[in-house]
Amino acid sequence: MKNKQQSTLRKAFALGIVGLGMSLLSQASLAAKDYLVTAVRPNKLVVVDAQARQVIKTHEIPNTAPGNSVAGIAVSRDGKVAYAIHNRWESVSGIDLETGKEVFRAELSSPDIRAKAHFAIDVSPDGGELAVYVNPTRLKPGEYEVLDPYIAIYDTGAGIHAQPVRKLPAPRRATTLAYSPDYKRLYTFTWDMLVLDPKTGEQIGSHPWKSWKRKGYGEPDSLSVSPQFEQANEFATPYFISHKDKDGKESLRAGIWALDIENDRVRFSEFEDATVMFFSTAINPVRRNEAYTVYTQLTKTDLDTNTLVKRVDLDHTFYTVNVSSDGKELYIGGTINEIAVHDSDTLEKKGTIIVGNGDQVLSSMRLVRR
Amino acid sequence: MKHMKAMNAKAHQVEVAIGKGGSEAEEVMAMQTVVGCATTFDPGWEVDAFLGVAGLCQPMEADLYGCADPCWWPAQVPDTLHNYTDWAAGKDAAVQDWTQLQSVFPK
Repeated sequence: MKNKQQSTLRKAFALGIVGLGMSLLSQASLAAKDYLVTAVRPNKLVVVDAQARQVIKTHEIPNTAPGNSVAGIAVSRDGKVAYAIHNRWESVSGIDLETGKEVFRAELSSPDIRAKAHFAIDVSPDGGELAVYVNPTRLKPGEYEVLDPYIAIYDTGAGIHAQPVRKLPAPRRATTLAYSPDYKRLYTFTWDMLVLDPKTGEQIGSHPWKSWKRKGYGEPDSLSVSPQFEQANEFATPYFISHKDKDGKESLRAGIWALDIENDRVRFSEFEDATVMFFSTAINPVRRNEAYTVYTQLTKTDLDTNTLVKRVDLDHTFYTVNVSSDGKELYIGGTINEIAVHDSDTLEKKGTIIVGNGDQVLSSMRLVRR
Repeated sequence: MKHMKAMNAKAHQVEVAIGKGGSEAEEVMAMQTVVGCATTFDPGWEVDAFLGVAGLCQPMEADLYGCADPCWWPAQVPDTLHNYTDWAAGKDAAVQDWTQLQSVFPK
């Protein structure tokens, strides 16, 4: 009887442990939320609870120049540290999003070298290294000597006097850096989308952009300065391209060009003759055929059918867009001090989040789930 | 380029480089991009890509620091990256603060 009781108790205890574990797991799963990370002038790094429509943290980036704004932002995949380019593009700081402490800092310039980074920055999938595209210029007494750009790779554990652990050669005009989730590729969007070995910098592949040749088409034109590929693991940029059809009729076509950085696959969709300006695009992580592009309008495109699904006018011009993890909401930011929330299905506006007093300007708006 | 004439030595070098073609011209084109105060001939400040005004940023203030902070249109907007670093210091919300922004003059 006693043995039977003990056995029953053990079973109950074991079931309880499993139940408790499942409860914690499900709570953890339920507790995981989407957070937006962006910046406002002059030096504020902002964390927003997307669902609550609330700013939950505002951290000051220390020792920066007033009168300018933060440029590129990259957040570690665990959502703990955000790396921001600031100080008139000459410094990179890693800010602990919980405490606001500056845990990493790299100065790009030195006494005779003025070096600038803008929007091309990314953290490796394990959070261990940071890639920053740097443009150096030697300041001589009578002239500026433009030096070759490079990708600086930093150890994120290097603290606040970080120096590059290696420098990878890179062509000019790189506007985006993106690690593949398996760390095998470092994508560098420049004249073409180059595929680099993140360890050596060796070019191991390329997806044509400037060199993209199609009969009847010119060169595509884009300005990709808003990294927002983390939700779908797919880089996307709007573009315009001139087209002459078989009857000789010329038009300017508008499209979305996208690179799946997980599987190294490109797709594109030219869905209309250009009628409005575009700035940046994000892909829905759930309904992956849907792309959203912003500027003064919000445009929804079906990449599978090459169709414009819907377009709505926005309250003002925005630069950035990101998508919630469930694919249901869009967060639209940049320019002034607010993030607009829109329904990804209807594109109707659902809310506004004021992120601070200053303008976001061109600061990236990244989304992390934690 | 037939309708444009080089006005200084550097512009003349650009013309020569483009005339030669090849990689030298590529380098000159590359320097027109967004790092620092490179000259940008994009339409977009006075007229949009469709030669109208509907495609311009709305309102203008939403884009003001987007043009000033990266030195995107240094002829139209004082650049806060290199040359007029204090122009918008302390005036961090263009929609509210634009009346405090002053004209600048070549140094």
